[in-house]
Amino acid sequence: MICKVDREKLGAAQAAILAAMLGTLTVGVVNLGTEISGSFKKWVQDAGKFWMPGAEGIGPYSGKETLALVVWLASWFLLHRFLRKREWNQSVVCGLFLAGIALATTLVWPPVFHFLGGKP
Amino acid sequence: MTEVSNKAERSSHTVILDSLMVMIVIAAGILWVSSPTEKLLGDSAYSVRSAFHGLFAGIFMVTATIGLYQALRLWSGIPLNIRELELGSIVNAFACFLTIILGNWLYIPYRAPGGPRAHFLERLPEIHGIFFEFKEFTALFTLPLAVTASYLICLYGERMKANKALRETTALLLVLNFFYFVVAFGLGAAITKLKSV
Repeated sequence: MICKVDREKLGAAQAAILAAMLGTLTVGVVNLGTEISGSFKKWVQDAGKFWMPGAEGIGPYSGKETLALVVWLASWFLLHRFLRKREWNQSVVCGLFLAGIALATTLVWPPVFHFLGGKP
Repeated sequence: MTEVSNKAERSSHTVILDSLMVMIVIAAGILWVSSPTEKLLGDSAYSVRSAFHGLFAGIFMVTATIGLYQALRLWSGIPLNIRELELGSIVNAFACFLTIILGNWLYIPYRAPGGPRAHFLERLPEIHGIFFEFKEFTALFTLPLAVTASYLICLYGERMKANKALRETTALLLVLNFFYFVVAFGLGAAITKLKSV
């Protein structure tokens, strides 16, 4: 992934940080989805069991990790392909990154996702 | 003259490192045969995986703390040794990865019937329902942050010194990595104090 990158531009760095943000945000969004829908929870658990050793013992957590990993790495690959020779405004990228991380943190705070999931 | 001096320096480094390695092996051997070290692990069936999770979390604590210090240097524009930064960030990312893998392995007995999860849900439901759940998710945030910080440092190398935006972005990643580590580590330690696997 490092080859053919214009290191005079920040595009490769921006792709990496935005992908990291999307990975963390996936944890929050998928977790909220499992709180809201039982069938989605089962699908998430199956996604973890598909490849992770011992996934049966850790429940849907394995699927949440799996989906976060897939989104993180896939979005990194795609964003890198798009941004490796160009760059966006760094302040906007950093703002998006921080907003995404803050939203992800809020979505994994149990009182918030229990409330949004309709649990007492 | 310089070549001779370099050779002497390398030789001195080798002697010191080799001597330290031999001393560590001897000390570990004496400790192992002369004391009941296995009792330090406790009598749980999951003591070994628990010890390894704690060991790598301990290493991660050291590397994440060094990362925080390096972040302050990056942010302030203080001259940096990029090689040192690269090595530290790679070790930090590996320690993070292994801590999460071993945490997953330890999560199995935690969730098993009669394990700490069942104990908390019966007696102190908020410990699992709020603190453990928050810890298990924030712990995952550390991996993309640590890997991304390491990637930026390795990719841009010496260019980082002259690029303020890049230095500040990397510093931000290292600070966040430390923050989420502290949340996960602190809650993990507190919960283990209440009931371990």
